[in-house]
Amino acid sequence: MYPGPWEEGYRAVVTPYVKRTADVEVITTPLLALDQIAKIKAARANPPLDVFLLDPGPAVVAIEDGLVDKFDPSRLKNIGNVNKAFYDDWGVAVAAQIVGIAYNPKKVERPTGWKDLFSPKYYGKVGISGFGTTFGTSSLIEISKLYGGSETNVEPAFEVLKKWLPNVGVIAQNPVAVNTLFQQGQMDVTYTNYQTVSTLKARGVDIEFVKPDTGPITFYTTIHVVKNAANKDNAYKYIDAILSTEVQAALQKPPYSLLSVNKNVPLQPDMPVDLVKSHEELAKFVHHDWRKINPNRAAWIERFNREVRQ
Amino acid sequence: MAGRALSLFFLLFFLMPLGLLAVVSLYTSPEMAAMGPTQYAKFGGDGFNWSVLFATLLLGVKTVALTAVIGYPLALVFTEAHRRLQPILLFVIILPLLTSVVVRTFAWIVILGRDGLVNRVLMDLGLITAPLRLLHTELGLVIALSQIEMPLMLLPLISLMSRLDPNLKDASAALGAGRWRTLFRVIVPLSLPGLLAGCLLVFSSSVTAFVSQTIIGGGRMVLLPFYIWQQATTLFNWPFAAAISIVLLLSVLTVVVVLNALGRRSRAYAHV
Repeated sequence: MYPGPWEEGYRAVVTPYVKRTADVEVITTPLLALDQIAKIKAARANPPLDVFLLDPGPAVVAIEDGLVDKFDPSRLKNIGNVNKAFYDDWGVAVAAQIVGIAYNPKKVERPTGWKDLFSPKYYGKVGISGFGTTFGTSSLIEISKLYGGSETNVEPAFEVLKKWLPNVGVIAQNPVAVNTLFQQGQMDVTYTNYQTVSTLKARGVDIEFVKPDTGPITFYTTIHVVKNAANKDNAYKYIDAILSTEVQAALQKPPYSLLSVNKNVPLQPDMPVDLVKSHEELAKFVHHDWRKINPNRAAWIERFNREVRQ
Repeated sequence: MAGRALSLFFLLFFLMPLGLLAVVSLYTSPEMAAMGPTQYAKFGGDGFNWSVLFATLLLGVKTVALTAVIGYPLALVFTEAHRRLQPILLFVIILPLLTSVVVRTFAWIVILGRDGLVNRVLMDLGLITAPLRLLHTELGLVIALSQIEMPLMLLPLISLMSRLDPNLKDASAALGAGRWRTLFRVIVPLSLPGLLAGCLLVFSSSVTAFVSQTIIGGGRMVLLPFYIWQQATTLFNWPFAAAISIVLLLSVLTVVVVLNALGRRSRAYAHV
């Protein structure tokens, strides 16, 4: 489970719900996606977790690495609430995330698209992170596309970055630091998940979310049963609880802002009007194919180190 | 019996994991199928890796220099202070050790940031018109690390200095030496082993300070601890991560051995 709003939301909503409806005690371990994989990889035969929650990139890694148990939707009562596109042989989506641009409305003008990040207007005020996170990778791909690149070619992004570096605000390779750096005014513009913006806003930070003019990115966070998990029955009960209408509706409310994948939970009225009106609109946002992205990601991460290093 | 239990504990929980690390570093690929020194060749064959190693060790040297320059006079002040004042001073000295490294590190963001304490004071005083870049610079990192590691420099220095015979100073004065001469000819040579012990602790701990390095140093300062973390948990290249860890370990160990040898010589010198 990711630390922050995910952990808070799941502890506050899902854990008591599972206890009440299925009498299953849940232990939540706050870990970023890749740390979860590392932990399970280190103890394949006797994994410390029964289910794990992953972004699309890490999910492909975990599946290819043989860490994920085959997913059996027939074991879930609530699977009928979920669109067929949201599950496959390996797992099921539990929330949609939207990636776009965040800015401080008290300090800078509202940016409109990805190109603005490198505009002289915002010199010294933009913070970026690299290919180590899902939102960083997705955003850099969208920036590449604007300059002729694609999901497999981010060369244009590197060229833009190189030219912009003398006017850098912040480069944060440790994702934990990003929120604090924004809060402390070290940067006023950055790319991030909508959910992060919602959480910071709920804590009184001056922050607003912008859907880039070329379309916001959306991706689905999926849940998977770990191969060799000790408590598979309970794992399915837990997943079933997450997909229930009651839980999905509660998790969608701010400050958690985890966009529902359940058909019975309308995306309105919890979301600000201009973010996303319906599941149909969400489906039209930019989607990336992580099976194409992943094979190049290691090389991009290494390259990013070298390009940004002083 | 207790000794045997302790050595067993040491063997199980320190030497074995370390041995495992060395073994993992000898796999040729992340799939860990074949063995060979490929990872070390990869490290050595790329100038980028050398420059990261060099920058990491240089950071240690700079932090040691700053803590020594500030810490030595502080230790002198401590030993000269009134006996009743000393416990209070000691508490202030170890205070940084009593707060979590994460809290201390985030506090430095508040101090050094663009909207931070230092910039705001300087701007209010009219000394600068635009905020200075302090966070995510090497200077900022060295300053923050020096504060964080300062107790490690002060404690060995103070423990050695307070054991020095106070008569030595009077003897030096009686023989006609001024205060500065007494300091440089008597106190400094005698406290050298403490200074070296402090340098050693500060060096090894600042070189490996992952949290402070990544958060205060920022993404543009690629240092070995971050590099290891990235290889191990983002790229899942455990053999390469293990090889870098061994390189870092050996580099720090070399510095420790050299400083230790110097420490022994300085002790011998002090006893003449």
